[in-house]
Amino acid sequence: MDMIYLIFLIFLSGAVISWLAGKVNHVLQDILFLASVIVPSVLFYMNVSVGQEVHFKAGGIDLSWGITDFGWIFSLIVLGLGVLAAIYSVGFMKGKERRGYFYFNYVLSIMSMLGILFSKDFVSFFIFWEIMTWSSYLMVIYNGKHTQSIGIKYFIFSAIGAYAMLMAIVISHSVTGNFMIADLITAYPVLSFNLQLLIPILLLVGFGVKAALMPLHVWAPGAYSNSPMAYTSVFSGALSKMGVYGLSIVMLSMISHLPEGFWFREVLAWMGAITAAIGTLWAVKQDDAKKLLAYSSVAQLGYIVTGIAIGTELSILAGLFLAVMHAIFKSTLFMAVGAIERQTGTTNFTEVTGLIRKMPWTFLASLMSIIALAGIPPLGGFVGKWMLYESLITSDHYMLIILVFFSSTAAFLYCYKFLFGFFLGQEEKEWAHVKEAPVLMVIPMLVLAGLSFVLGTFPGLILKPIDAGMQALGFAPTNQHLWDTSILFNSWGNQVALQPILYAILGIFVVFTIFLTIKGYKNTRYVTTKDISSSGEVPKEHENLTFSINFFQPFMRAVEPVMRRQIDKYYNGFANGLEALFDFTRKIYTGNGQTYAIYVILFLIIMLLIKNNVFG
Amino acid sequence: MDSIWYKILGVVVSFILAFIVGMTYMGLSRKIIARVQNRKGPPFYQNFIDAMKLYSKSTAIHHGLMQHLGPAFIMVSSIMTLMIVPVLNDGKWFPNLNFDGDLIFLLYIMVFGPLGMALGAGQTGNPNSAIGVTRGLSQMVGFEIPWVMALVALMMQFKTTSIVDLMEVQAQSGTWLMFSSPFAFIAAVLAMLGMFRYSPFDIVGAPTELASGPVSENGGKYLFTLMSSGAVFAFAKLTLYVDLFMGGADNLIVLLLKTFAIYLIPMLYGVVSPRYRTEQAIRYFWGWPTFFGLLAILHAVFF
Amino acid sequence: MVGTPVLLVVIPLLAAFLIPLLGMIWKELVRIIPGLVLLYMFILSATLLNQVLHTGPIVEVIAGWRPPLGINLVFSPFSGFLVTLMTFIGLMVWIYSYRFKQNVDFEPAKKYFILLMMLVTGSVGIVLTGDIFNLFVFIEIVGISAYALTAFYTERNSAEAAFKYLFMGALASTFLLLAIMIIYTQLGTLNMADIASKMPEMNTTYKITALVFLLTAIGIEAEMFPLNGWAADAYTESPGPIGAAFAGIVAKAGVYAMVRIIFTMFDVDGTMQFMLYIGLITLIVAETTALRQDRLKRMLAYSSIGQMGLIMVAFGIGTAEGVFAALFLMFNHAIIKPLLFFSGSYLVYNSKDKFIHETNGMGKHIPITSILFALGAFAIVGLPPFAGFWSKLSILTAAADENMIIIIALILIVSIIELVYYLRVVNRIYFFKMAEGVEPKKPTLNALFVMVTLGVIILLVGFYPDAITGVLHKASGDLLDKTKYIQDVLLLNP
Repeated sequence: MDMIYLIFLIFLSGAVISWLAGKVNHVLQDILFLASVIVPSVLFYMNVSVGQEVHFKAGGIDLSWGITDFGWIFSLIVLGLGVLAAIYSVGFMKGKERRGYFYFNYVLSIMSMLGILFSKDFVSFFIFWEIMTWSSYLMVIYNGKHTQSIGIKYFIFSAIGAYAMLMAIVISHSVTGNFMIADLITAYPVLSFNLQLLIPILLLVGFGVKAALMPLHVWAPGAYSNSPMAYTSVFSGALSKMGVYGLSIVMLSMISHLPEGFWFREVLAWMGAITAAIGTLWAVKQDDAKKLLAYSSVAQLGYIVTGIAIGTELSILAGLFLAVMHAIFKSTLFMAVGAIERQTGTTNFTEVTGLIRKMPWTFLASLMSIIALAGIPPLGGFVGKWMLYESLITSDHYMLIILVFFSSTAAFLYCYKFLFGFFLGQEEKEWAHVKEAPVLMVIPMLVLAGLSFVLGTFPGLILKPIDAGMQALGFAPTNQHLWDTSILFNSWGNQVALQPILYAILGIFVVFTIFLTIKGYKNTRYVTTKDISSSGEVPKEHENLTFSINFFQPFMRAVEPVMRRQIDKYYNGFANGLEALFDFTRKIYTGNGQTYAIYVILFLIIMLLIKNNVFG
Repeated sequence: MDSIWYKILGVVVSFILAFIVGMTYMGLSRKIIARVQNRKGPPFYQNFIDAMKLYSKSTAIHHGLMQHLGPAFIMVSSIMTLMIVPVLNDGKWFPNLNFDGDLIFLLYIMVFGPLGMALGAGQTGNPNSAIGVTRGLSQMVGFEIPWVMALVALMMQFKTTSIVDLMEVQAQSGTWLMFSSPFAFIAAVLAMLGMFRYSPFDIVGAPTELASGPVSENGGKYLFTLMSSGAVFAFAKLTLYVDLFMGGADNLIVLLLKTFAIYLIPMLYGVVSPRYRTEQAIRYFWGWPTFFGLLAILHAVFF
Repeated sequence: MVGTPVLLVVIPLLAAFLIPLLGMIWKELVRIIPGLVLLYMFILSATLLNQVLHTGPIVEVIAGWRPPLGINLVFSPFSGFLVTLMTFIGLMVWIYSYRFKQNVDFEPAKKYFILLMMLVTGSVGIVLTGDIFNLFVFIEIVGISAYALTAFYTERNSAEAAFKYLFMGALASTFLLLAIMIIYTQLGTLNMADIASKMPEMNTTYKITALVFLLTAIGIEAEMFPLNGWAADAYTESPGPIGAAFAGIVAKAGVYAMVRIIFTMFDVDGTMQFMLYIGLITLIVAETTALRQDRLKRMLAYSSIGQMGLIMVAFGIGTAEGVFAALFLMFNHAIIKPLLFFSGSYLVYNSKDKFIHETNGMGKHIPITSILFALGAFAIVGLPPFAGFWSKLSILTAAADENMIIIIALILIVSIIELVYYLRVVNRIYFFKMAEGVEPKKPTLNALFVMVTLGVIILLVGFYPDAITGVLHKASGDLLDKTKYIQDVLLLNP
């Protein structure tokens, strides 16, 4: 049996077994769960090489699986994150109910994502896509809260996306005669112009939903924050990247054949940037960490989409690099929120404060990830941001860059809110008992945080596979010309060397840390956060000095006109209108036998009257 | 002479220069503002005395690791900025590790410090500090927009993202960019008002409201470091403006003249005007400065 | 050789007469014998199907009169496939309801199994017959057993539903008889193959008038909009398993009759389009109506009607792929909808009004039933990797090949509506708190067996669609090849 089949078989049986094993023994269940994620991942990297393919038939349709160089980049995200978040999940789920349910859906999600990357034909692509959708849906409703609102909303949007995609798939089948993705790409340049537009638009709707692109993003905040955090790290980190994966393929191998300067790319790039701006503003407003990160994810995906939509080599590199980075730092942050939720029972900034001394490792991981998210050197986020800006400037997108810059500056606001809200500020007695999260949860966070540190200085490590993937899509090699292991170039010949930056920053930091520490070392002692000069008075124990409500009130006042329009309201209005309409159609069935008989007679009479127009 | 040690020596020297110049300017500004307000004001070397006093005091308390490291973070930002910006034109004196002077990198490294500082301020538990930080971040979102627009206009116009290249352009054409790209200059200067946080944009420190805001729990060595960092940062920013818009400087005298001329703008703008509210400040920056930024971009694209 | 097609009709008819007599000997025989008969029918049709897939259709002549004069039964891959499916579902319904009202002294219960058997027999007859008058007769057989089963509970509501059904059924019979009269007066034959071969000679006005009457009559049986008013009531008020039988067996027979008329008998243009559009309207109206239902069985009923509409759309596409997709849909619907009815009746077992909100929290108490319901729901809306996906894919592919983009879009939009109402129920089952005083009923062993069997088939077809597609391809080829049908019947070699 081919290794590829074996991988999926292990995933599939692992999902079922790790569910059922809960009836026997919880430790066994944890081990089986970890094994069913780790073993196939190891097998994948050991035994599956790019270009290896299997072919088979199902329902008379030719199917084919195999990984491409481009998919390989995303497999790093999926499996890397899958394994780390699985380790985290074991710690997170300890003592929680419905572990089997969680494990089952978790493994299926990972499997389906890998399957998407493996699919060389649309049918298996779609099947895996849908498995991914419903397994993530089952995770969204894991808590049993808001199932009818958030859960259904997620599923409806996913279904809209999936069905748009399905429509594109069957149309492409009618054109090419089979379901192979490669065949559509080959046939694309010679299609009629209408189809050249219709197919990508439908596919983009499908992928745009998963990538939470405006205006299809409304499901994301609820779904991200409602699923268990151990899963959300995968949800936001990897699952949303499947949208990016599809989007990239559509953008890079189909739309690139449209006439030069066509509005398609511009529109998509703007949609990405607007998504980023709106997502950021909403993230600033949130008081709940889950919601904040969820909106932040929406915003970050906006950058990625913008990068890919611009379509120059540098911008695609930037988009894909940001995708990897986002997977790393956002999943760390979701994990950190999960750890805090587990230890304190809440994720609301207005409730929990001053955890830095209680959960130092979680803080460290969050700090690193936040720095990466904000795009501040020397961490990985900066590399992505730098490439994105340079690509926007060098390709003359001067207004776009302002919008993108606005959102990433405004992102500092929520970055600070996250760190301050949870870790800094007054240390309240209420949280004095809080302990650091279990080791199983801390280690994955630290590993990921370390990764974003390494990639900040040596982005070449990940740019190399990205470059290989882009070459597989027909781009020229970009090594030495746009990037080196730790040097970045733009197309005007400017460059940034990352190693000197790191050493300089570290050097200055160390010098002044030593200075601050050594000087008067013996005299300086730690005092609590109640021991402060509050306008010259010493605050009493009962005085509440926590600042967390209306954190960015002045800023929100300044941007209030933008926030007033919520697209959610329009969707809800639309849905309510539809339900009212359906109530009307329902009344066709009055429940009265005479009415039904009249229908029959009327039908007969009308048919007899118009029979010659209809038939013959 | 190109060794790393030589460069590090250059950094140290320019750091000392920046420290002295920055401190002097701050002292002068106190004096000038006092005269405008019909007060006598402290002597211009008062800031050196303050710094010496702070340095010699022993610090008794700190509120935790982040607060302890906060000043170090902001120092990183100040010195890195200084290291990117070429101090003099020929680069023989003060040969900084300028990292090719990339503007995007500059934009980001400039916020590194304030954010680290904000974390330090956050850990003190003083609500005034956190309020100051939120105000500062909000205002930053305000003034970064015209600032970036000005920079984008320059970068677009000359197809480079490097400060060194922009200085080269000015040296070759002989015209300062403040004349050839006036709108970018106006936008950048208006943005600078927020960057220097003089009245009416002094909402972060806001002495009477927030008891000096983020720095309020810092004393002794911490405040000393913050103060010197502020001086260095101010000098670095002024030099940046001179480099970008006024053709840089060939020697120290010219540099001092030019930087001081620039420095007068934020200092004197609104000396007698009261403080803005935060949202007013933000909206101010999104008004005329952004408009000039747009003009700058249009100018860069069409001319 | 287990037997010939004629036994499929004769044996149950014979049994129906004998059962009351045998019941006097031992009461349990009333329950057992219909099951044995159904089992025999299933085995027989499966064997025959296997045979005709390789050798070609069997045309059985009754009493030695050769067509077009005599009565004949046609067991082709197409009809054989349907018969096998129907008898299988019939058998499942029987197993499921074997202990139905066992310990209650309730008069209709004695007749339940006989009526069920007759329902299956009638439907099988509709599919097998090659003769338009016998079609009428079998429709009547189905109708009578169905009315009786609808009125099974002898309450006000069920009586009303049965009356509506009866009323509509009577109209259908009238129109059908009228159509048959027109055709007979014009062509002088009742044999379908003969009618088909002579159809070009017929006067167009008569032809179309006959077609309209036929479509109206059969449309009532096939739950076509706006003729399907009876259906929801009948599904809802009849006992749970009978709803499954209506969806899985009777509706299929109706669609078969319609397809036979359109594909084989008439050669009129526009019938395909008519079927396509009327199917689309049926689909949309039924699914949107289902969205706003508050009773579980009504929701399932409207969903079923919608599926019938979708099947009509698939047939209406008219190409081989379309017919293939339609047959695939019929198969899936026949497997999945009974599963939903079976498990759904347990979800609201002890409830009087069968409201959807009474399924709240059942997932904890009757886990297997609940998960099977969820499986069925996921499958019927076409989520991969379950069976429904493949049929949905094939119908969309067929439509796309004909450039029917708007129709694809409409089908998909309706699918989203379908998704919403099924998910609402599934969410309730698993994530809502059970109301006070609701007593979950654990399914009996035989019911569980039936549901699990259907669930396994759903998964099997989902993961390995080739298990069924071979048969479907042959069946669809058979349906489309009109000349061969005529030849097979008329030029029969003795």
